[in-house]
Amino acid sequence: MHDADAFLAISAMAVLTYATRAGGFLLMSMVPLSPRLEAFLRHLSGSVLIAIIVPAAVTSGAAAILAILAAVLVMRRTRNALLAMAVGIGLAALLRAWV
Amino acid sequence: MERAVITWRGMGRGARELVAVGAYAFVFGVAFGIAARNVGMEGWAANLMSAAVFAGGSQFAVLELWQSPVAWGPLLIATLAVNGRHFLLGASLYPWLRSLPAWQVYLAAVLLSEPNWAKAIEAEARGERDVGVLIGGGVLLWVAWVAGTIAGSGFIDLSPEHFRRFGLDLVFLAFLSCMLTGLRRGRSDDLAWLAAGITALAAMAILPAGWHILAGAVAGGLVGVVVDARR
Repeated sequence: MHDADAFLAISAMAVLTYATRAGGFLLMSMVPLSPRLEAFLRHLSGSVLIAIIVPAAVTSGAAAILAILAAVLVMRRTRNALLAMAVGIGLAALLRAWV
Repeated sequence: MERAVITWRGMGRGARELVAVGAYAFVFGVAFGIAARNVGMEGWAANLMSAAVFAGGSQFAVLELWQSPVAWGPLLIATLAVNGRHFLLGASLYPWLRSLPAWQVYLAAVLLSEPNWAKAIEAEARGERDVGVLIGGGVLLWVAWVAGTIAGSGFIDLSPEHFRRFGLDLVFLAFLSCMLTGLRRGRSDDLAWLAAGITALAAMAILPAGWHILAGAVAGGLVGVVVDARR
């Protein structure tokens, strides 16, 4: 790709991506925040996470699913995210090495 | 609700709590730099893209389209499809951020990505008012991502199989799962999350790549509203 084209393409991607980052807030600031909309937004946060985690874990295989479950269990017990991540990742590494 | 604030202390805390994810962002950045080199993208272009776009999924997606003449349609559609989920992240932060001056919010939006967003909503759920965690975490991720890209597009070599073997491909997922754990408020969440998970899985099977997050998240949000309204 020519330098000028590459620069244009990257600029277009940057502008478009910024629009997706700012757009959600912008749209919400233009509509009145009803209790129902607030409930929707509150449930949206957890649902976004689920919608990222579940398909990604399923496509990554059984070791990944067990690792995520282990991380969640440790997190619930200890509230220590670093420890939970270490346990989950360590478990995945072990499972992939042995199974 | 109390007004949101932004403090240096909050930024420092956001950066510290994302150190592990930042390390992963660095490695992922290295992988992007190498992949960019492999499709013939010049170093300056890969580095500029990481700095200006700062969205790994879409950057990997366009590598397959990096050709002359530029395939503008697919390039822009791929960017929008993969990054459309940011729209939901921004919307979900609205109640928390709306007491801040608009210029601060739109400046912070430059740094919006999943890890620092997840940290932010987890902090919000604990009653935190300091939006600094979102910004500090974002700065750390940006620096790590760009530094990784520079290293990968310039000199480091590393195969994806390396970090899969050590489970490092799961850093990001494990982190998001930990943040999710702190978000559960009660049983109404279970139904919403179940709907989100099932819809996302189904959407992954039938929709073009990237749209399943939007589909699952909106389904979960709607089910949550219905469940809330019934009690």
